[in-house]
Amino acid sequence: MECEEKMALAGLRVLDLADDKASFCSKLLADMGAKVIKVEKPGGDASRWVGPFWKNVPHPEKSLSFWYNNTSKLGITLNLESKEGQEIFRRLSKRADVIVEAFPPSYLEGLGLSYEALSKTNPGLIMASVTGFGHSGPYREYKSCDIVASALGGQMYVCGAPDTPPLKPYGQQAYSTASLFASIGILLTLLERKHSGQGQHIDISLQEAVAASLEHVMVRYFYEGVVSKRQGNFHWNPSFCLLPCKDGHIVLSPLMEWETLVEWLDSEGMASDLTAGRWREEEYRIQHLDHIIEILQRWTKTHTTTELFELGQLMHLPWAPVASPGEVLDSPQLKARGFFVSVAHPEVNAYFTYPGAPYKFDRSTWNIQRRAPLIGEHNEQLYHQELGFSREKLNELSSRNVI
Amino acid sequence: MSAGVLRGLRVLDFTWVLAGPYATRILADFGAEVIKVQSRKTARGAELNTTGYFSTWNRNKLSITLDLSCPEGRELALRLVGMSDVVMENFTPRVMPNWGLSYENLKKVKADLIMISMSGTGQTGPWRDFVAFGPTIQALSGITYLTSFVSDSPIGLGYSYADHVAGLFAALAVLASLEYRDRTGEGQYINISEYEAMCTLLGPAIMDYAANHSPVIPRGNHPNYALAVPYGCYKCLGDDKWCAIAVFTEEEWQALCRVLGNPPWSKEARFSTFWQRREHIEELNELVEQWTAQHNPGEVMNWLQEAGVPAGVVKDAHEVAEDPQLATRGFFVDVRHPVLGKTTFDSTPIRLGRTPARFRRAAPSLGQDNRYVYQELLGMSHQELSRYIEDGVIG
Repeated sequence: MECEEKMALAGLRVLDLADDKASFCSKLLADMGAKVIKVEKPGGDASRWVGPFWKNVPHPEKSLSFWYNNTSKLGITLNLESKEGQEIFRRLSKRADVIVEAFPPSYLEGLGLSYEALSKTNPGLIMASVTGFGHSGPYREYKSCDIVASALGGQMYVCGAPDTPPLKPYGQQAYSTASLFASIGILLTLLERKHSGQGQHIDISLQEAVAASLEHVMVRYFYEGVVSKRQGNFHWNPSFCLLPCKDGHIVLSPLMEWETLVEWLDSEGMASDLTAGRWREEEYRIQHLDHIIEILQRWTKTHTTTELFELGQLMHLPWAPVASPGEVLDSPQLKARGFFVSVAHPEVNAYFTYPGAPYKFDRSTWNIQRRAPLIGEHNEQLYHQELGFSREKLNELSSRNVI
Repeated sequence: MSAGVLRGLRVLDFTWVLAGPYATRILADFGAEVIKVQSRKTARGAELNTTGYFSTWNRNKLSITLDLSCPEGRELALRLVGMSDVVMENFTPRVMPNWGLSYENLKKVKADLIMISMSGTGQTGPWRDFVAFGPTIQALSGITYLTSFVSDSPIGLGYSYADHVAGLFAALAVLASLEYRDRTGEGQYINISEYEAMCTLLGPAIMDYAANHSPVIPRGNHPNYALAVPYGCYKCLGDDKWCAIAVFTEEEWQALCRVLGNPPWSKEARFSTFWQRREHIEELNELVEQWTAQHNPGEVMNWLQEAGVPAGVVKDAHEVAEDPQLATRGFFVDVRHPVLGKTTFDSTPIRLGRTPARFRRAAPSLGQDNRYVYQELLGMSHQELSRYIEDGVIG
């Protein structure tokens, strides 16, 4: 128990109704000690069918995406669309601090499980809703998903090359950032609840999560009237670009630490005319960037990414190889920091490698307490031991597809 | 009634550029007193108070000036730490210890201090001193490699997304540590690696390689693991106009066909089931694009959404600024800035029903809160403050 007390969010009780739009939110809380119960429909949540899968075989207990987003949680099944299921959920929610859900805005209301309804019997309840557009506004009922949010939030338009279509960033970035915003909202409301005793509803929009994390894009529009375009191999400004090497690509800064850079090229006889005085003027360099890139590219192609990365960093150049997931797993930095975590999956008698946490707390504990739950794995623990249902009742509810 | 969720929380903010300021911005939006420590010598570039960039990431904060390169400046910094709950910094790992401002030293003046250090690759490990900006981190994390159409020609994101991600994790870490402090009375030190933050948002890709040893490659706008088809970004009428469409269910597929006027090809065997459509995704995408290309993206989105199909215009910055949904929800707010005049910035996606974020003040001018912080909070006399300013310690 002492170990549990060392976790920052020990004692916090969370019900997770979310699919892949927001399951990362309560994973963040669960790995910091919250007791998160994932409530899935009988047979399992649809997000169990989102790949990739272990051994590339689609199976609801083998989704690596589900595994990753649901670590440290307990799992029960419950049919929220049945009257009995709703009654059971009301009982669960009375004992909960937080509910995380990602249904369409009026769905829970239709089941009599809206925040207004549930908070009547549990005024301290906090509910975070993650939806495509939020619970208000003209698009409220519109459907969304990661690519739609990326498009409408302004992300896709600026990703890609001038001669390609807009490009959605890899993964489920809208879901990930929305989950992060939601988890911050939850901890804010928990702190507030200590003063007021009251919970509240948190309304997270995927579109807003995207539009709030665009760095220069909206800033340059509001202050300079500039509409950012797709830049291909360049960062939005020429401070960074992406060039080919012998064995891959490197991100480098073609304008920074100019004299160091030119000396380096020159020492390998590859500086061409860049040693001339006129190139010392940054203005001139920006105007003739194409020429610089041409010469740099001739040079980068004679090196490996590792050579350029290590030597460049020795000279304090903010360069990096463009790493694939395999190379990320091999990163000496991530290994030295123990970033990857090995998680036991006892039912298949194997351990799997998971990304760990980006924060290291020196007092409170962070850890993946267990792998994601199997479908209904903790039904007995929750319904029998905690809610006091008899085994007969459990069987009966199960036969009627309530759990 | 209330001055915000985090009323009474004082944050001494040594952060700069974006990742750190984005984290402290969230705390300030919800009522924390965030004191940004600046110096005349370093108030340049992203830290120049009168730019749009600075004003966007530093609204709601106070600004003081303090020269940390001199011993007297560092002494004052320690006094400020003594009255703060949280200290945040995002320098390279050597900077704070070199100034004598390591966590070990800071907690001597404030036992239950929460301190967060954010850096590119973390405070430990062989790469700890490497220089990293957003694009550097994105390259290292795998997202630059994976965000492309083909694997031998990576593209990446075109902006410093990783800075936001690191900032969000930092804000979360502060709040979790406050929860821990409330329960145990203990503060703590947290170190955040932006590299690791970015990697955590690519979890399934990393696990795929680790578990299956099969290469994970960029797929452009292919649905990849999303169970949707048709799916992608479709060219519409007009110059560089596009609409994203994602059809997940059979109902949505039928609705799409209706909106397209039930073309004969939609009845063909090759498109008759989800897995058939998935197999013929390229052909299907082309046929859908033949239709979208005849319409403007707003029409495509509205017709599809009204029929129950997920779709969204690929919006540029101007269109995002004018977006009716964002506008109705008041997503962008205007605040008057003493130098810049009217400033506009995103509010916050964190919409708390009862205690919403407040945008009380524009970003500070350099050192505008020196008098309040040094005199009212630290109890310095007017003469003392003037002397420090004359000596350039506060300046």
